[in-house]
Amino acid sequence: MTILFAVTATALWRDVWGHPAAPSSAPLLDAQFTNTATLRMSAAELIRTGGDTSGLTCGSCHDEKKKPVSVHFNADGTIRLPEEHKDLVMQHGRNNHCFNCHDPSNLELLKTRDGTTLKVEEGTKLCGSCHGPTLRDWEAGIHGRATGFWDPRAGARVKADCTSCHDAHSPAFPPIKAAPGPNLFRASLAGAREGAH
Amino acid sequence: MSESNCKCSGGGPGCSGSGGCGGHGHEGAHAPLTRRSFLRKSTLAASGIAALAASLAPLRELTDMPSLQEFVQKHYKELTPSDMEKALERIRGEVQRQYGLRPEIKDLKPMDGVEFVYCLNLTRCVGCRKCVHACVAENNQSRSPEIQYIRVLKMPNGTFDLERGDHDYKTESVPEKGAYYMPVQCHQCKNPPCVKVCPVDATWQEADGITVIDYDWCIGCRYCEAACPYWARRFNFAKPSVPKEKLNPNMAYLGNRPRPKGVVEKCHFCLQRTRAGRYPACLEVCPTGSRKFGNILDPASEVSYILRNKRVFVLKEEVGTLPRFFYYFDI
Ligand code: HEC
Ligand code: HEC
Ligand code: HEC
Ligand code: HEC
Repeated sequence: MTILFAVTATALWRDVWGHPAAPSSAPLLDAQFTNTATLRMSAAELIRTGGDTSGLTCGSCHDEKKKPVSVHFNADGTIRLPEEHKDLVMQHGRNNHCFNCHDPSNLELLKTRDGTTLKVEEGTKLCGSCHGPTLRDWEAGIHGRATGFWDPRAGARVKADCTSCHDAHSPAFPPIKAAPGPNLFRASLAGAREGAH
Repeated sequence: MSESNCKCSGGGPGCSGSGGCGGHGHEGAHAPLTRRSFLRKSTLAASGIAALAASLAPLRELTDMPSLQEFVQKHYKELTPSDMEKALERIRGEVQRQYGLRPEIKDLKPMDGVEFVYCLNLTRCVGCRKCVHACVAENNQSRSPEIQYIRVLKMPNGTFDLERGDHDYKTESVPEKGAYYMPVQCHQCKNPPCVKVCPVDATWQEADGITVIDYDWCIGCRYCEAACPYWARRFNFAKPSVPKEKLNPNMAYLGNRPRPKGVVEKCHFCLQRTRAGRYPACLEVCPTGSRKFGNILDPASEVSYILRNKRVFVLKEEVGTLPRFFYYFDI
């Protein structure tokens, strides 16, 4: 405590004379707070970047041609999932039924309500089949994030997939970690003293 | 949070004398004024410059003295292309000496038919502050003392009163219940009070709507800081420190090049990126997609879509600043 006080006092004293504060007094920021990656990796992104796609292969356990998959329910109407799917949390409101989105005759495909089948990396179209207005905003670059170039003459604009931000099964945007706030001591050297705090 | 940074009555231009305001009367605040007014009034003959150079030579050892070349440089708007090339070369040399790397520095001009606008969706923003830090990294802001262009205010639900905003929330996990978050940065006003109060024309509005600062011309009087209703301007009390390995070498003259002590800086919509067609750094890092940026003169841009389709508002509309920074709720 005494040491801290002494350090503080010294720094303030040095500042009075307009000396630069020692650069080492600024701890480096954790790189996660300047990382531009989206919250999660969509299936499309996994495939595009050659990531681990083993979670998207259903055939290692299921053979839906021989043994059709059926959805099991608990007494309260919620879906009962086997141990093998325990990391999957189903919380999509009324839209909880697996086959609202997955194709029962080929688990590795997605299927919209009107029967259109989609590849697993086409999740955005699936979401859009029920969330029309949101998809419209997304296409205009308003919902979700478009990065790269605002000027099409200079380069491409890349839109993040729905599942880069939303887990298809529990789509609510989860709470995230906040980056450090202003360091009132270091900021005070710069300007808070006169009331900007 | 008080609105005016100036303790003198009246604030802004009413403040008496340089250095007497706010009680930071160290030399950095007013010395350049004397130097500049001296230089601007006198027509220096070549021999005069040589004599000046000789008399300055011992001072050159001091870190914060401007180089002779910087000292006699003309106003930005009067620089010819070859003057500018000389200025850029000087900056390359200074950066090389101080940081050990040669920056990619350009003097990027506004693009024809482009006027920038920013829109921020307050329904989406969760207050994670990643924008604050991406901005610091992109724009070579001082880490210690700490300078940040973006302030994220945690606002109690149901109010727009900025005085009730808290930017020092300490929560680990965001968002918190009962609050929304409002990031505030330079609004690039169409009617900017900061520009009007500058006594030396060191800050002005460009054709694409960005209000810029020439750090070589700024005398550090801080009138602009006091005049800004959005607390968007920051003053370098001490020599800014940026760790060598963190310096962003992609620089623009009116943008993120390293600043000296004693000058004002602020958000310039990342002009080193945006005038090259890219999105600003705060937008690129936002995990929620709350931040939208683009050319309002292009009807196909995101910002045009938002102004057409969402109910947008500006902060402190009553002060007549006409911000180019819009907020909206998305329901
Ligand atoms: C590690 C093995 C394994 C993998 C891989 C796997 N599953 Fe399953 N899955 C199971 C088991 C075991 C069950 C429960 C028994 C059954 O119905 O066959 C099950 C059940 C299901 C069910 C029915 C849910 C319920 O209520 O029982 C669906 C739908 C399903 N899986 C979809 C998929 C999809 C889609 C994939 C690929 C993306 C996949 N599974 C990959 C093991 C697996
Ligand atoms: C079959 C139709 C359907 C599809 C396909 C669908 N949704 Fe939904 N979604 C719904 C419904 C219905 C609700 C409202 C749930 C409720 O309130 O009961 C909802 C709610 C949501 C919510 C709000 C959740 C909350 O807790 O606030 C999000 C976010 C969402 N969906 C995202 C998605 C994404 C992302 C996809 C694509 C992976 C998707 N949805 C695909 C029907 C669908
Ligand atoms: C709202 C539509 C929707 C519903 C309902 C849905 N899924 Fe999915 N599921 C998807 C999408 C889209 C993907 C691809 C995810 C991506 O892009 O990241 C996926 C991926 C999967 C995967 C691959 C790995 C993973 O966890 O992402 C499994 C396994 C799976 N779903 C099982 C199920 C089961 C079992 C159910 C029912 C309990 C179910 N899904 C309900 C849309 C849905
Ligand atoms: C860059 C991240 C991101 C992307 C990409 C994204 N969303 Fe969202 N979305 C959010 C955030 C953040 C919210 C608000 C968080 C919340 O309230 O849960 C949200 C909210 C929603 C909601 C709830 C209703 C609302 O508007 O608040 C729906 C439905 C939704 N998103 C669907 C989609 C669909 C469909 C796509 C793809 C077409 C998509 N999202 C892409 C971040 C994203």
